[in-house]
Amino acid sequence: MTVRATIYSIFRGRKLATFGALWLCVIAIAAIGAQFIAPFDPLEIDPIARLTEPGLPYLFGTDHFGRDTFSRAVYGARMALIIGFGSVIVALVCGGLIGLLSAYFSTLGHFLMRIIDVLMAFPALLLALVLMTLLERSVLNTVIVIGIVYATTTARIFFGMTLKLKNEVFIDAARCSGASHSSILFKHILPNLWSPLLVQASFIFAFAQLQAAALDFLGLGLPPEVASWGNMLAEEKIYITRAPWLLMFPGALIILSVFSMNLVGDAMRDSIDPRFKNDIAGV
Amino acid sequence: MQCGTALILGLKTILQVCSVALLELDNLNIAVASKDKLLPVVHDCSLSLAEHETLGIVGESGCGKSLTALAIMGLLEGSQVKITSGSIVFDGQNLLEMKPSRRRLIMGDRMAMIFQEPMTSLNPVYRIGDQIIEVIRQHRRISNQGAKQRALELLELVKIPQPEDRINSFPHQLSGGQRQRVMIAIAMACDPALLIADEPTTALDVTVQKEVLDLMLDLQQRTGTSIILISHDLGVIAETCNEVAVMYRGRIIEKARTRQLFSHMAHPYTRGLLASIPSVVTDTDWLEAIPGRVPTIDEQLSGCAFHPRCAHTKTSCSQTEPPLIEVQEHHAVRCHFAGEI
Amino acid sequence: MADQPLLEVKNLSTHFKTKSSASFTARTVVKAVDDISFHINPGEVLSLVGESGCGKTTVGRTLTKLTQHSIGKALFRGQDILPMSQAQFRPLRREIQMIFQDPFASLNPRLTIQQTLAEPLFIHKLVSSRDAAIQHIKEILEKVGLDASIMKRHPHEFSGGQRQRIGIARVMIVQPQLVIADEAVSALDVSIQAQVLNLIKQLQRDNGISMLFISHDLGVVRHISDRVAVMYQGKIVETANKHDIFDNPQHSYTKKLLAAIPKVPTYQGALSHAT
Repeated sequence: MTVRATIYSIFRGRKLATFGALWLCVIAIAAIGAQFIAPFDPLEIDPIARLTEPGLPYLFGTDHFGRDTFSRAVYGARMALIIGFGSVIVALVCGGLIGLLSAYFSTLGHFLMRIIDVLMAFPALLLALVLMTLLERSVLNTVIVIGIVYATTTARIFFGMTLKLKNEVFIDAARCSGASHSSILFKHILPNLWSPLLVQASFIFAFAQLQAAALDFLGLGLPPEVASWGNMLAEEKIYITRAPWLLMFPGALIILSVFSMNLVGDAMRDSIDPRFKNDIAGV
Repeated sequence: MQCGTALILGLKTILQVCSVALLELDNLNIAVASKDKLLPVVHDCSLSLAEHETLGIVGESGCGKSLTALAIMGLLEGSQVKITSGSIVFDGQNLLEMKPSRRRLIMGDRMAMIFQEPMTSLNPVYRIGDQIIEVIRQHRRISNQGAKQRALELLELVKIPQPEDRINSFPHQLSGGQRQRVMIAIAMACDPALLIADEPTTALDVTVQKEVLDLMLDLQQRTGTSIILISHDLGVIAETCNEVAVMYRGRIIEKARTRQLFSHMAHPYTRGLLASIPSVVTDTDWLEAIPGRVPTIDEQLSGCAFHPRCAHTKTSCSQTEPPLIEVQEHHAVRCHFAGEI
Repeated sequence: MADQPLLEVKNLSTHFKTKSSASFTARTVVKAVDDISFHINPGEVLSLVGESGCGKTTVGRTLTKLTQHSIGKALFRGQDILPMSQAQFRPLRREIQMIFQDPFASLNPRLTIQQTLAEPLFIHKLVSSRDAAIQHIKEILEKVGLDASIMKRHPHEFSGGQRQRIGIARVMIVQPQLVIADEAVSALDVSIQAQVLNLIKQLQRDNGISMLFISHDLGVVRHISDRVAVMYQGKIVETANKHDIFDNPQHSYTKKLLAAIPKVPTYQGALSHAT
């Protein structure tokens, strides 16, 4: 009941955000049921049907190997979800812990936050590129790199909010009760960060899509054989005049998904915890 | 002969009515908009304030005392809180029927307000002199030099030491008491006829509180301003005001001249309030606390607003709301059994 | 042993270093507490009064080790608590408890009342099972005048007075020897303040607790304390039993403080309202 009430309070009167949420549901369904929804194997090559225009049976047409673009798009949704959730977990766990611990133990904080500052001096994409060149192209490495890139901003946000929270009277009260450091950190401070954490997650999810697409496009992201929207763009970019649909569909999917996630994130931010508006605006 | 006396008496009354009532609230009702309904927060509030008088409004948080003040000042505009009926007559004009642009001319000029938090009500990025000058020049055609001269006079009036230096200070460079003095200087800038002070000393230490209250009374002596002092502190009210109105849950439950009130408290709530304050003069072993808590504004209550906490409740108390009845001249009480208990 | 004070503070000073506004490197030392000494006997209530910034809050925070950088001695049952590490002090936290001023800030908004009250029980191993904890919580809630059914609710559902009762329950549930009450009733409305004061006084007497009652409100102080220490600019300027402080003050600051309080005219009828 409370979950339903929360969802209602987030989307009530926010039409665009509701649309965004619906679109994300469609993506999620496509991702989970990819093998049932996709009419063809995304890797199956049909040389006779190269660069077919959209129609039947190839809904979104075929690429220059004759692979079905629709099936690849559906499997791309699965990849998008993996990248999104993976990056969110890496970013929140690493960044969250660094921010939390840095703010709570000030000596450690002086050291850790300087490293974060240095990392934040790099533009996000540049940092991701540098890290990717050091690693092999793989799904796991892409997730880790994007996660690390967004762990920096997450750490900053958590640092600021923990600093504020640790001076709250109820933290003093917990200390007077004899609570240990770990109990104060994880029982008293962390639960008060849930809502900003959720909002931050939604933004990382959106930005991770863009970042992953950019890395794929530059040939440094996922391995080329993986069906992802970024890879589809990268491989078919030379056919932009002959077969524009090959770029239109994955491009539109990326834009729509990122846009939807941002709308949902905004709505969550505004409704769940207006206090944290300013803390998160900097992402 | 008799006819002449009656005429003179009649004229006197007319003159009194004209000159005496500076401010009249008549059955003022205020409600706050919540979701889809209006929750009443101030009920049928009727007050009148004569010139040179000090009226104290006392009550606990949420009793509607601050909202009444904000309504008089015209600061409810654009908020969730709406005046639903009644009138506020100031200087013979009904403020609620006035255009906002005309009303703004009165605010800060004929009527001024000071707030509880002297830090937040001053703008931290401007020098205090500039903040005083701004108010003066908003209401008076006066040169910058003249306004500055007036600002210096005002700082002297509120007894800020070395006004020539202090006029260039920023708010954070002053102590809490000095900031409240600056606020008073700003409020007094245009010689207002009415000064509304909403908990002006609550954030201050007792010794500073005494200085600020003394200053307000001293200024009243000199300029003849009427004051509405809003406070939760019966002691402050008793030492400062001529008249007192006690509010509970949006209603005035007792109003009287201060001396009358403290010698013949008639409402059980007023008595309970006084009994709740531990005295500094005598020893108390146990406080006769009022039981229960103030109901929240969205709780529906029939009858007298105080009946669930009252020791004298009878059946009629929960059925009909008592009107405000005069038990003596100048002493009105909202209780069914006002004279009896 | 019987006449040994429960708490004896000797020459306590707390200095804070603050950045000077004049330059980036210069630091000024603020003496928040400057060489004060006092003691509290078992079962006694000592009030520490003074105006804001006089250092009274720092004394309370020093004795609960929420603030460090103190010199001097604070002997609790003869044992100096100041040089102790947090880990060494932890067992003593059960015996030295604190009631905070702001009932809205002192309860974790994310925890239920049950979670808040169970925490100290488990930390100090006063109960071994969940059921025992709940039993304890029920008893203490009844003692502070709250219904046991509120356990599953969150702090935001309660009024200021109710929250302060919960705060008191959290303190009393571990059966402390010394309670430090820092402006414990200052944030409450007058009628609620009286209820909570009565509650504190009753619990203090029934359990023979010693108390350091920190307040700026002299009426409240007269009501609750046995002895009073007046603080001014980091120093204790006068300590005496309460009748001497209020009826025969010696120090000029005490006199000034007493003179500044707005007096409520006493009215006999006020005391009979409950009859």
